[in-house]
Order: sequence, then C-alpha cells, then structure tokens
Amino acid sequence: MSLSKEALLKKLSDGVVNMEEEEVVEACNEYIEAGYPAFDGIMEGLVDGMNRASQLYDEEEYFVTDVLLCSDAMYIGLEILSPHMPESELERVRPKGVIGVVEGDTHDIGKNLVKIMLETAGFEMYDLGRDVPLQSFIDKAIEVKASFVCLSTLMTTTMPGMATVVNLLKEAGIREQVKVVIGGGPISKKFADTIGADGYSPNAVEAVKLVKNLLNIA
Amino acid sequence: MHKDDQMTPNERLMAFMTGKPMDRMLAMPVACSMSGLALGMTHKEKKSTAYNEAMAQVACYERFGNDLTITEYGLHGVGAALGSKMSEPEDAVPAIMSYALEDLNDVDQLDMSKLELKNDNKFQIHLEATKILIEKLGHEVPTGVLISGPFTAAASIYKTENLLRATRKNPEKLHQLINFCNEGLKMIYREFIKAGAVILLCDPIASGTILHRKQYLEFVLSYTIDLMQDIHDAKGMVCYHICGDTTAIVGDMVTSGCDMLSIDNRVDLTHAKNVAGHKVPILGNVDPVEIMYLGTPDDVDKAVKSCIQKAYDSPSGYILASGCDLSGNIPLENIDQFMESARKYGKWPLDPKNFL
Repeated sequence: MSLSKEALLKKLSDGVVNMEEEEVVEACNEYIEAGYPAFDGIMEGLVDGMNRASQLYDEEEYFVTDVLLCSDAMYIGLEILSPHMPESELERVRPKGVIGVVEGDTHDIGKNLVKIMLETAGFEMYDLGRDVPLQSFIDKAIEVKASFVCLSTLMTTTMPGMATVVNLLKEAGIREQVKVVIGGGPISKKFADTIGADGYSPNAVEAVKLVKNLLNIA
Repeated sequence: MHKDDQMTPNERLMAFMTGKPMDRMLAMPVACSMSGLALGMTHKEKKSTAYNEAMAQVACYERFGNDLTITEYGLHGVGAALGSKMSEPEDAVPAIMSYALEDLNDVDQLDMSKLELKNDNKFQIHLEATKILIEKLGHEVPTGVLISGPFTAAASIYKTENLLRATRKNPEKLHQLINFCNEGLKMIYREFIKAGAVILLCDPIASGTILHRKQYLEFVLSYTIDLMQDIHDAKGMVCYHICGDTTAIVGDMVTSGCDMLSIDNRVDLTHAKNVAGHKVPILGNVDPVEIMYLGTPDDVDKAVKSCIQKAYDSPSGYILASGCDLSGNIPLENIDQFMESARKYGKWPLDPKNFL
C-alpha cells in the first residue's frame, strides 16, 4: 500500500535533513506518482527539511559539510518536483536577489550557503558566481529588478570592491531600490557602515533574517 | 637594530626561549602580504623576484623593528605547481581560478615531481628570497616562511566544497590526497629549514569556521602531527596557525607537537591561554582587518593593550602578534603604532601596572 501524503512529506523532509539523496529521489517519485501537488512537496517536504537543517546549523549541531549535503539532497528533489509545478505557481512573484563573490576572489562556500538559505526562505536568487566583475551586479539587478544584492568576499584585498558596487548602484540611480548586504571572513558591521551598505551578516542563517528585515517581510 | 630597541630580535628571542631578561616583549605583526607597501611596490611587483620579496621584508624590518621577517611559499603553492590556475592581480592577493584535480578519483595521477624545487619556478623564487633575507638580516632577526598545512594544500588542488563533501562520500581518496600533500610538504619544508627559516605552518581551510572538530581530528590533526615530527627531525622550528574560529580545536592543535601556536582574532586569547598556554608559547591576536586595516593608531594601541592584558601571564610565554596575515592597503602608521605600543606596554620587566 502506498504512503499517505503526510508520510511522504515527512520522508522528503527527513531525507533532506539526513542527507539521504536516494531516499529523497525515491520519495519524490512516489509522491508524484500518487498525484499529490508538487508545490506542497517542495514547501512542506524538501524546504521544510532544509529549514530544519538550517535550524541545526544555527544551533551548531550541523556544520558546513552537513548543510552542503542537505542542500544537495534538496536540489536533487527539486529537479524531480519542479517540472510538475503548475504554471500559476511558477509565475508567482517572489522577491529577487542578486548574489556573488566580488571580483578578484573565488572563495565561494559562504556565498553558496547564503544562496541556499535565501532560496529556501522563498527568495528568487540570481547567482553570478565567483570573481564577479563589479558592474555585473548592477547590470543584473537592473535586468531582473532585484530588491537586494548580496556581496561576499574572504580576502582583505577585495573588500574595496564592495564599496565600488555601492557607488555604482548610486551612479545607476537605483541605490534607493536595491538593498545591499555584505558578508565574509574579514567583513564586519563597521565595514558595512563605512561603505554605506544596508547590512552585514556574520553567517547564512542571519543573512535570511537580515534580508527579511530590510525588505519588511515577516 | 631599531632605534627604540636595546636588543636585536635574535637576542630577544634567545632570551625568551631561555627565560632570561629582555628589553621588551616579542612583537610579530604578520607583515607578509602587505610588505610591498614599505617599498611602494604592488603585490605583484613584490612577488615577481626573489630580490623584491626579500627587500620588502628588509624595508619592513628597518621601519618597524618587528621580531620576525617573513617570506612566503604561500597557501596555493602546492596546487599551482600541480596545475591549478591562479589569478594575477596587480595589487591584491591571487585567487584560485581552476583546480588541478577535477575528479578526486584521479588522485593517483598527481605528479609529486612537479613539487620538487628543480621543477617549480615559484618555489625557487621564494626559497631564494628566504636565502637573500637571511644573508642580509639573519645575524639580527629570524626569518619565517609562510606555508600551507596539509588540508589547505589539498584545497589548492581540489575545490574546497567538494573536499568537504568527500569527507563523507569518499574519505578513502581524500585521505590519499591529503597524504600526498603531506609528503610533498615535507620535501618543501625541508628546503626552507635547510635555508634557516622557521616554518609558519598555516592551515586556514582547516578552520573551525569550516570544519567540525571530528573532521579536524580525522583529516587534519594526524597528518599535522606527522609533519611536525618531520620538521623536528630536520632540526626545524614551527609555529602553527589556523584562521577563523578555532575555539573548539585549540586544545587539539597544541597536541600536534608545534613549537608555538598562533591564535586568530576570532578566538579569545584567554581561552587559548587556558587550554594551550601550559604547553607552548602563544602568539596573537590583534584583528588584522578591523584594527590594523580599518582602525586608527589609537585603536591599535587599545587592541595591543587588551591582548597583553589577556595573555602576558601565559605559562609558556606570550608573543604579541596580529591574528592573521596583514593584507590589503594597511596604513603603515598602524604597524608603527603596534610596535610602539609593544615597547610601551611590553617593557621589561613586565609590570601589570603598565597595562592592567
């Protein structure tokens, strides 16, 4: 006998928390075959699991490796469930953010964690990757009408690039519409204030709270 | 010798190690990445020749009177020699653009001979810089070489994110990769030890910010113990540093057999003193960014004082240092102040009235 919707949602969520990709794939296929709505599977299954993982990360039960493996399991599940989303859900407008590691730096683990957490929290993220030319942040923000830009760097020598992005946003006349949040090893609240960024986050979980606060999202 | 000092750094270090009186506390701002500034050179210019690299250190020493000059084999050297591609910015620290190893299962194909001195031009430059520096200043001040530890060397060959995944999914091959790095590093360390340099073993990717303690114990510490043993067999001396928050592993780090332990500014010096201070001298930990790069001389003075307050009575001794490499456009006045505050608060014999 096949599992109930609730049992399958729990299996999806647990599969993500426990970093079990095969379990997630199996549960996703079973879920779709049973004809349950993909949207619920994503939100109450996969994303719920990732939220639990981020809670454990916040409590220092989970570390970077755990979060990466949980997100691997979540993304594998998303690949299966997303094609079954109805058009109306796909077109639902979500707040958009642009994220990347600033030019000259390629350390991207922190950036990737922040992206995962923001996506899980329901933001539509445009990931420009690492070593991103500074103007690209502005171009992308204009193109997708982003509400915020996230900048990351681990190196001291590339920190000034963050100030440049703030200034380029001003020059483009969109500084008021786009919040700028920054993070990374050498970054601090003081530095964020110095360059006129809107906020600093010491880690990925805080980054979600910070962006929600800045955009007045409960 | 610096005009405000009464002893050379060599004399001071000798006194420190034998428990004799000295003129002031040892002070080692890690003036490595930024050293070109002392000669008005960009980062790339400074690293382009052995002579430039050495002279930048000479200029720093002449200006600051710091107790350690530093050359660098660097954190990416192993990966670069094996084929990882680096950026070459004019005035910033290079970053890894692509990795020598795409698939961890190809670890058997890594070629150890590429790490040998005769086959690695960058290695030759940094070793030559070390020799020039020791020839010019060795009679007066010790020279250290900043060089990666095993986990960071592995991360210069294979992308860190996948390295982390491999700790769970492919531990056997990961052990093979780290072991390869360890054997390569032994060979590299020995060349620098032969030249007379102290090994400044830095393993930032093993940071507690990235790794869980269990991962550190399994994938880093056992290899590091082996490395430390080899350094000592070669009659070398080693200072061990891991960046970021190492609060959970400081007590483990000191079991590696290191001669000194350098503490990042994300760790409370008092904690480091309590868990490791009875075994080795502690170095640390003025914030290289918040204080040395973004702060004023007044901020530097306060930070130096605060470090000395916390660690001056560390049982095996305390050396004032920055929490990590000084990088970026650091105001040189801040390093002047760092040394001046060391002379003020660290004046011998240490008197807590001066800094408590």
